[in-house]
Formats: sequence, structure tokens, C-alpha cells
Amino acid sequence: MRVACDVGGTFTDVCFLNEATGTMHVAKTPTTVDPIDGVIAGIAAGGVNLADISLFAHGTTLATNALITRKFPPAIMITTEGFRDVIEIRRGTRNDLWDTYKEMAGPYIPRRDRLTIRERVDYSGKVLVEVDEAEAREVARVIAKRGVKTVAICFVNAFANPANEQRMRDILESALPDCSISLSSDIMPEIFEHERFSTTVANAVLSPVAGAYTRDLATRMEEGGYTEDVLLLHSGGGVVTAKGASKFAGRLAASGIAAGAIASRFVARLSGFEDSISLDMGGTSTDISLCNKGELSVTDDWHVEYGYPIKFPSIEVLTIGAGGGSLAWIDDAKSLRNGPQSAGSNPGPACYDRGGDQPTNCDANVLLGRLGTRLAGGAVGLDRDLAEAAIRKHVADPLGLTPEEAAIAVLKVANANMADAVRLVSIRKGHDPRDFALVAFGGAGALHGAALARDLSIPTVLVPPNPGVTSALGCLLVDITHDISQMYLHNIDEIELPDMEAAFVELEKEGFDRLSNEGVAPKDMVFERFIDMRYLGQWRAMAIQVSSPLTTLADAVASFHVDHGREHNYSRPDAPVEIYRISVRATGMTQKAEFARNEPDGAAATPVGTRMVRFDELPEAIETPIYDRDRLTAGMRVEGPAIIEQLDSTILVPPGISADVDPYLTIRMDIPPAD
Amino acid sequence: MTKQNNQGYSLDPVTFEVLKNAYVNIVDQMAEQILRTCYSFVIWSRDFSSALCDTEGNTIMQGSGDIAAHVGTLHYTAKAVIKKFEGDIHPGDVFVVNDVYQGGTHFNDTRIFAPMFFEGELLGFAQANGHWADVGGAVPGSFNVSALDHMAEGLRITPVRVYSKGKYLSDVAELIAHNTRKPDDIIGDLQAQAEACRLAEREIQRLCQKYGVETIKTSFAEVQDYVETLTRQRISELPDGTWETTDYIDVDPAEGEGLIPINVRMTIKGDSVHYDLSGSHPRTISTFLNCCYGGAFAAIVAGTKMQSPDIPLNSGFYRVVTVELGPVGSVVNADWPTPVAGFCSGPFEKIMNSVFELWAEILPERAMACTFNLDYLLIGGRDTRHEDKPIFMWYDWMVGGWGARNGRDGWAATGPVFGVQLGTQPFEGQERLSPVLTTEHELLIDSGGPGEYRGGMGVQKGGTLYACERTVVSYCCDRERSVTWGLWGGLPSFPHGVWVNPGQEGERYLGSIFSGEPLHQGDTVTRPSAGGGGLGDPLRRSVERVLSDVTEGYVSIERALKDYGVVVRLLDPDLAEYEVDLDETLAARQRIARERPAMLEEDPEAVAARYRAGELTLLDLIRQYGVIVNWGSGELLEKTTAQFRDMLKRRTVPYWSTRIEQVDMDRPTLRVA
Repeated sequence: MRVACDVGGTFTDVCFLNEATGTMHVAKTPTTVDPIDGVIAGIAAGGVNLADISLFAHGTTLATNALITRKFPPAIMITTEGFRDVIEIRRGTRNDLWDTYKEMAGPYIPRRDRLTIRERVDYSGKVLVEVDEAEAREVARVIAKRGVKTVAICFVNAFANPANEQRMRDILESALPDCSISLSSDIMPEIFEHERFSTTVANAVLSPVAGAYTRDLATRMEEGGYTEDVLLLHSGGGVVTAKGASKFAGRLAASGIAAGAIASRFVARLSGFEDSISLDMGGTSTDISLCNKGELSVTDDWHVEYGYPIKFPSIEVLTIGAGGGSLAWIDDAKSLRNGPQSAGSNPGPACYDRGGDQPTNCDANVLLGRLGTRLAGGAVGLDRDLAEAAIRKHVADPLGLTPEEAAIAVLKVANANMADAVRLVSIRKGHDPRDFALVAFGGAGALHGAALARDLSIPTVLVPPNPGVTSALGCLLVDITHDISQMYLHNIDEIELPDMEAAFVELEKEGFDRLSNEGVAPKDMVFERFIDMRYLGQWRAMAIQVSSPLTTLADAVASFHVDHGREHNYSRPDAPVEIYRISVRATGMTQKAEFARNEPDGAAATPVGTRMVRFDELPEAIETPIYDRDRLTAGMRVEGPAIIEQLDSTILVPPGISADVDPYLTIRMDIPPAD
Repeated sequence: MTKQNNQGYSLDPVTFEVLKNAYVNIVDQMAEQILRTCYSFVIWSRDFSSALCDTEGNTIMQGSGDIAAHVGTLHYTAKAVIKKFEGDIHPGDVFVVNDVYQGGTHFNDTRIFAPMFFEGELLGFAQANGHWADVGGAVPGSFNVSALDHMAEGLRITPVRVYSKGKYLSDVAELIAHNTRKPDDIIGDLQAQAEACRLAEREIQRLCQKYGVETIKTSFAEVQDYVETLTRQRISELPDGTWETTDYIDVDPAEGEGLIPINVRMTIKGDSVHYDLSGSHPRTISTFLNCCYGGAFAAIVAGTKMQSPDIPLNSGFYRVVTVELGPVGSVVNADWPTPVAGFCSGPFEKIMNSVFELWAEILPERAMACTFNLDYLLIGGRDTRHEDKPIFMWYDWMVGGWGARNGRDGWAATGPVFGVQLGTQPFEGQERLSPVLTTEHELLIDSGGPGEYRGGMGVQKGGTLYACERTVVSYCCDRERSVTWGLWGGLPSFPHGVWVNPGQEGERYLGSIFSGEPLHQGDTVTRPSAGGGGLGDPLRRSVERVLSDVTEGYVSIERALKDYGVVVRLLDPDLAEYEVDLDETLAARQRIARERPAMLEEDPEAVAARYRAGELTLLDLIRQYGVIVNWGSGELLEKTTAQFRDMLKRRTVPYWSTRIEQVDMDRPTLRVA
């Protein structure tokens, strides 16, 4: 049995894959104060014994939350004299340009905990000032006296020569044997001091958090009889072992967000789509990501909080403040707005009857009959009258609309906002949405998926079997990956291929060591090479994959021109090209499992009831059949208009559209192009 | 789509909101495109802006990440191009303009402008504006402090066509590019900006197909109406009245020492707000710290917009916010051929900080003291690390401290009010490109203006030259004398100004505005950025906050006593542990409260002499005595000091507690009518 677990803020979702049968089941339990209790409880709730688990993978928001709340043990940063405040000065920018009363959180290590030492390396890597041993020992003494257990060493130009950082580390290690040390030249050996220091500091502060958590988790799992590695999902979409997680703790910073994107790619692939866009719509926000030819977009321009970059490659996920609980409101100039404020879970939408009187997207869906009044199999009751009252008071009356018209208007605005966000991740990057499938999940995604697809001319909508716990699936079936990079600033004409080949081999050796350290056998290792290129004079570079061993750069340069043309609509084939850095993705393949295919049995879908539902396409509410998803088997077709309900989600099938259950029990809706 | 509903708009609420958001999305896509493909490091550091304009050039939407100094000028340059080419604008055309006398800011801000057509009909224009790193002229970077007229500043581009019906006019583009120091980069930026405009046209065409061209045209007008309505709504909730304040530029060297007044008078009446700058210095000044109408209007717009951060920006805003600049030929309304490249360091920031001060009267809950001044430093010469000794340009600007706010300290190390997105450059990148070894880039202790709420921390940055020859340094800044001020009893922060070899042999003070000073291998150049001004009486700052500031190293033990009257002692340097002596603190605060008004009356010459003798520090002079000297020579600036003391007596002294137990006080007002 393989088990994947996604610990979110409210719920812990667990996915179980029976390797023998290829079937999957899920469990959901509340997230606990010590999240490990919830993990263990979730596995138990699924009826699985820890001893029967062959592989356990885990996505967690632990690291993200630790950074946001600054709840981590004190850390020390040691940096070059004169540069104590690089991480506090940042790049000096803010993400809100106009609000002088919007605060920005301070750096992860406050000034009093940033120590300096005389040392200097120049741009070329030449050591100008060596680390003085006595001064370094004095720093070690202070750290020991403060009782701090994790240190970031961040020296100027250390990417060009790590000697001084390594010397500092050696002295610290001998003086402080049980201290965890993050070197900027190790963690992110790239030019630009703030980005490198910030990543290293995030790694250092998370190291004790991730270390303690993974140790405790591994121990609890072991006590219960689990004998294999505990794998943790990292931001780049691979996993690391507990051992790797503690050294490269910064890689866990977006663990929770990456899971949904990976799950979406998996679901789309099972149904035969290599190109997909994921729409993970929850209560307060929606996560959108893009998978092109089987590859998720990855970025190194990423942060948990603006101003504090974490340059580890991260799956690119655009989060917008539009969810089921987003508020609909009318601004001072009478325009109908949607979000980003949310009713949250308390008081929640008006229809929850917990005191909320502001209308939300959820209320609009209830009013229109798209959402039933009993959710989660009856565990939650929704009050349609309260939804109507809220919409009438705050939207319909001020705009002179009927409540139904107002509810439709609310949802149209919400859908348009989400469609704009999808445009940002797709069209903006040169992708045509018409080539993609939309994977709609999260609690609310399947209610909106069809309308969004129509707006964007996306031809296919896929709804996975368990939309509410799909993210957990993302932790399963991913490989152990390490991304290792090196600055390589050269004009393309100056490149000596043997030198570059040697540099790649060095990076691969580092990858080999990291994977070996995590117990991966050489036969399961795969190494991919990338070169980041840009037009000479430009500031941003694009990663181009190259072959191994290197025989020519001509193909890579040709690909660069093509990619530049696709992403930015123009290329300059005659302009000189520069190489910025090289990188290697080292992958330790985990064993793949097969999901069971279900063959159609020829049975027809039968509704379990009806209710009045108002669709955008029809002038008034009509009696609409309701289907129970648990009773839908492979090959069945549901003709719209229809509603398909299940424990954790509701699927809206608009008129003229049919929903087919595919062999993996994913529901597929084909959306004809708008006229 | 044309039915009239009860909002006063003809579009239905859904279509309206969807299109409005789509336009925000489009200008932000333009910004993203430029950021990913630009060549100028200044653009890469986010000195750019984008807009959609209607057929008359009025802006429909501007980018949410735009540099503040560009807002309020994009419609002017749009109208300039339209006026020039009316009747001769075709699909596939692209135009360029940077003319400061036709609404531009300075020549570096070059606007690429392209019509948006749908099925042969002109719907409007897309505009992408970016600060090119160099536009020619006498000095690299095109910031020529000693320019006598605009010819010495750089290439003036009056509206000109660079693409005609889709055909790239390489002759014109190259003429422009080859009048700059980096022709290849300029072509790269021009293409990047043109492509951003085309992106906007494609998106607008898609919306036309979906919603119909009439709906799009209607929405262009109604999105402007929307912003007008929203702005009027906000203004009408405020009291009517007229308020007035004055800020200062340091000096016009041609007129001798003495601060140059920038006077801003604001009148709120009903649902509109009007500004009058006609009380400002009536002549242009001999440095390039002058401002044409575009830059002055931008400062008013940006300052006012910050009072309602959620209102989107377009021409609807300018129907509500109006400006009288006063006579042509003044420092805020410069005429041809006055040089204005330094508008951003000069009048722009003075106007904007004045707007903040005036609004603090009306919306005290959003009050903010003065913010540090934008600076540009350029060290240029030949780089002898390479055999061919290429030209290098160490082109650098600082982030600094923002003003303290009501109930909150100011932001540390943040981009200027000119544009908070204008970030610092990574010095590791600079070190590769220039033979300048960065000596420090660190917060400057005691740089935040003292107050009950402290101004944000400024920064110190410097570098030592090696492997270079024929090297000069130029600097464009201000506020070495008109020091970043405090509000409601808060104290000024720290003067700007460049030092060569500070504390070493060959020490020289070069001031805050100069050009072409020679430097030699081994010289160290350094300068601070000011912190923000303080807000409220520093003697009322909580003792815990002062202790925390000392612990973090933001405030020294010495200044904790002098500025805040808090007596702090170091307990354990290893643990960064300090303690406050409460009894001594009460005594110190009572003594300071008693003595401080008289210190502002002490004979300035005597104070300057004590500075020259090393008995008083620069911060003592500014914060305790209100005396301004040449910080290098210690020579008293008599007229400047008198003006500075007057300023302190207006902004600061009336709010000081005379007895330290007293917490309530009556605030005087700037209101004059």
C-alpha cells in the first residue's frame, strides 16, 4: 500500500493506493496541533496499518507556516563586514506601491542576530582578505554563548569562490559540533547577494524545524511498523528523504502548494492529456498552474513573502483571492466586485448560518440551485433563504436586479477574474488555452470549471475522482529530485565545450552524492542538463535543456530563439547570446505504480433526484437531474443540464454538454467552442 | 449592452467589471513582458510604466506596478503624438516620444506608443514607457548636472514614427539608437516596448470579438467615469478648506546659499481637489533640478493617489484632481530649453512630500513625515582590468528611509517616493561590470529621524576604485541642507551628500549635486541615504521601543540619550543585552524638554565653530541646534540656517512637550482658509 498525505491548515488528506489492485481510496481528518497526530489518525481512518505501507510521501505547509509566523528557533547569520543588512535592505522594493500603511514583515534573522567578520572575495573569486582564525573563533564563542543551533554563512561573492565560507564553516564545526550550518555557496551558488543570502537564511531557519519534524515523523512511523523512508514533497515537485529535508530545508517552503499541481498533471496524463491547466479552487483562494508537454512550469523567481526570495526551483503556481467564500460587494462607484476578501470559515458564507451576512460565491451557487443545501453527505446544511437575503440586500437591490440575476452576475465576475488569472499563466507565456485540458478540483473547482473553459475556449474539463483531496495524490508517485546549479557567465562564442562538459560532470557528481546519500541506487538515477541563456544585455534568462555529453551548443541556441519567440512574441536571431548559468536536475526514480483501469459495463447513469437549477444559458431555473458520483461507473454518460454530487465536491454540467466517466473514473466534459 | 441601468453606466455591471479587470490585466501583462525582455538595467529595476489610452489620448488604465513619477504624464505624451500624426495613424504603426516640453518627465523616459485597431477602426493606443539607461548628451547616463540647456542633456525625441504599417523603419530607429552610448541595448528596449504594445492590441481585439466593438468603446469611457465617480465620492466626504505648506530644494548655486521654496496650496471644495504651485520659486534654477509641467503634475497625482491607494489610475482621476502651476518659467513649470533631467531629485519629491504633509491634516490616520531623497550616482571611466580598457559606468541609486507614520515607525531601506519599485542593484553584479569594490552596503545607525514614531532607516553605500583611469564621479541628489524633515514634533533625519576617503588622508566632501569630479585609483567614495523624518515628540517615544532600537543597532547609545532622553547601558555585548535606567531617563527627558527650545536660538556661528572644532556632530547641529553648515568645511550657511530654523519652528517645535508628564497638546494647523 502506498500512502500520500497532504497536511493543510484545516484538514489532513490521505490518499491510499493499493498496488495490487491499482485502486485508490481516501480519508480526511482534521489537522491537529501536532500535525503528526493528524497524519497517524488519517492513516488509521483509512483502515491501513503502518506496517503494510510500502511507501509514504508527505506534503506539508509546515515550512511555509513557520516562515510566515516566524515560529522557528533563533538562528545566526554570519556575513562579510560592511554587509550586515543585505537581507534587510533587500532590493528595497515593495509589492504594494501606493499604500503607505501596508506593512512588510522583517527579515527572517533580525539585525541583532547578524554577526560580521572581516573577509573578502572579489568578483573573479580571488581572495582579497582571508578569514582570520582568531576572529572566527570569537564569532563561534558568541554563538555558543547564545545557544543558537543553526547558522547561515553568507559571504560576498562566495558563488565565485567558496573558500572563505568553507573556512568559516570548518572553524564553526570544530567549535560547535551540533550546530547546523548553511553555506550560501552550497545552498544557492549564484550571483546576486540578496537572492543568495535570502535563500540561505530561509534554509538555515527552517533547518531545525524540518529536522525535528521529519525525525519525529520518521520515529512515529517506525514505531507503528513502517520500515521505509519518509519522503517529503519539495517545492520543485520532487521528494527528498527526511535526511535531505533537514539539510535543504528551504526546499520544503512550498511543499503544500506543489502537491496540487503535480496531482493535476497526473490526473490529466491518466486521461491522455500532456497539456493541462490546473484549477484548484478552495474556500478562500484558487491555485492555478500549467503543465506543458508533461512538464510543469518551474520558476526560481519565488517567495513565501514578498522581498525574501527563495531561489530553489519551484513549481509555478499562481494564487488568486477567489474562492467559494470570496465576498461579492459593490464599491463606492457602484461596480460589482468579487474578493479578494473572503468570509473564511468563520463566519463563512451567509448560507452557513453562522452569522455571516455578506454574500459569497457559495451563496450565489446555493441560490441558483447549483449547490445543494446538504453538503458532505449531510454533515453541513446550507440555508438557501439566508443566501438569498444576503444577495438581495448587498447586490440585487443596489443594482436593481432580481436575486437570481444578481447571483448570476456575481458568479460571472468571479469566473472572469479566474479566467484572467489563467490567461496570465497561459497566453502570457505563449501558450494557447485551446491546446489544454482544464483540471478542475478543490472543493469548488468543478462548479466553475465548465464556465471557465468556455470563456477561455478550453475544449476539455477533467474532474478527478476525489476533487477535494486530489492534492494529496500529488505527493504520491513523484521522484526524488535535486536541482544543482552553477554560475557560468560567458558569451556563447567563448565557450570551450570540454570546460563546460567538465562543469556539468562536476554538478552531476554532486547530484550523485546527494542521491547516494539518500539511498538511491545508481541504476535509478537520471541526470538532466540545462543551460540558462539570454540575449547579451538582457537581464532575464531562459533555461534550455541540452544533451549529455555536450557535442554542440548550436541546437541549444536555436531552441533559445524559438522559446524566446514563443514566450515573448519576438526573437533576435542575429543578436549575440550569453550563457548565464548551468544546472543539473538529479532524479532518483521511485518505483511506479499502476492505477486500475475500469472497463465500461454498459450500464446507464440514473439520477438520484432532481432540483430546480438556474443555468447561465437558460432564461429560468429548470428541473435538473442530480446524480450521485459514487454510483457513476466507467463509460457512463451524464447529459447536461445536470448536477453530479459527491462527498467533497459538486460538478455542474451545463446544458448541451455531456459528462463522461473515463476508465480512471475521471469525469470528462467536452466544451464546444463558443460561437 | 446599451440598456441604461441605475448605476449611471450604460454597461451592465458584469460586463463593466469584467472589462475593467481585463484592462488591469492587460497593462500588467505589458509590464511583465517588458520586465522579461528589457536591456536597460534601469528598466529592469522597474523604472517603467504602461497604459491604455483612448483615441484622444486619455488614459483608460495604467499599470498597477508603475513608477510613481510616470503617472499623470502618459496622457500628455499620448496627446502629443496624436496631435502630430492625427489622420495619419495606421495599423502596425509605432511611435516614439520623450519630449519633456510635451508632457514628458526627463529624456530618459522614452515612451513607445502604438495604435490599437479592430477591423480597420482606431480604438485607442497602447503606451509603454521605460527609462533608457542612456539617451546621449554630454555625460554617460544623460544626467548632466551642469547642463545649460536641454541640448547638453540628451536626445530630445519629438513624436516620430519607427514602424510604418508594420514595417520597421530601421533608419529612424538607428538614428535614435546611435545618438546614445549603448545603441544595441536601445534597439533591444525599443523592440521590447513595441512588443508590449502589440500584446495590448491583440488582447483588445480579442475582447472586441467577444463583447463587440461598441461595448469596448463604451467601456473605455465608462472606466474613466468610474474612477472619476470613485474619486469624487472620496473627496466629497472630506471637509472643505484650503491648506498650504512649503518645502525646499537646497540651493540655486547661481543665487548663492539659501533654500529654494516649493509652495503647495491645496483646496478641497465639494467633490474636487485643486492644487496651486504658483507660490513656488518663480525662476528656474541653475542646476538641472527643474521640472516641466509633466513632472509637476505627476508629483501631485502620485501624492494624491497615495491617499486612496485602492483607486485605479486613469484620466478620470484628472477630472477631479486639478493643478495650477503658476507662471511659465518657474522651477515647477520650466520652459524650453531649461534642463530638467533632475526633476525627480528636485521639485518632484518636494511636491510629493508636501502633498503628504497637507493630507496629514485631513487624514491624520494616514499621516507620514518626509521621506529620503532620490539619488543617482555615476562613477565613469576606463576599466583597466581588460586590455582594451572599455568604458565603465558604476551607475547607482539608493534606497532609504520613509517618513514615520501615525502610530508606526517609517519603512527602512525602501525605494524612493519617486517610485517605490525602483530597487537597488545587486552590488555583486556591479562588481563584475566595474572596477569598484563595494566597501559597505549597510543600514546607517542613527539615520532614522527621531520621533515618538521613528523615521525608517537610511543606508550607507560606498566603493573603492581599483584598476581604472580617467575616472570621474557625478551626483544628482538634494536635501543635504533641506534635510528630510519630521512632522508633529518629529526631528529631521540625516543629510544626503558624497564623501571621498572619509576619515582618511585626502578626505573631501563633494555635497549632494555635482558633476565630473576627478577620482583616482584607491579613492573610496561613499554616501548615505537619509532616513525618514520622525513623527511626534521623540521624548514621548516608548522606552521599550528605544531600547529595542539600541539592541538592534538602529540607534546608538549616545543618540538614544540626545534625541530621546533615554539612558541605555550595555550589559553583555555577546548577547546584545542592554538595559534602561528609568530614573535617569525621566531626569534626562525633563532636562531636554526644558532646554531644547533655547538651543534653536543659539548663535549659529558659535555652533558652527564648535562643529569645526569637533565638539558637536553633524546630527547635533541638525537635530538640536537647527544649524546648517557646509558639512565638509563647517562654514556656516546663514540664510539657509534661518530658513531651516523657521521650518523647525513650524513643523516641530509647537508639538514639543514642555513638561514631560504632559501628554495632550493642541496641534497648530496649516489651514489658512
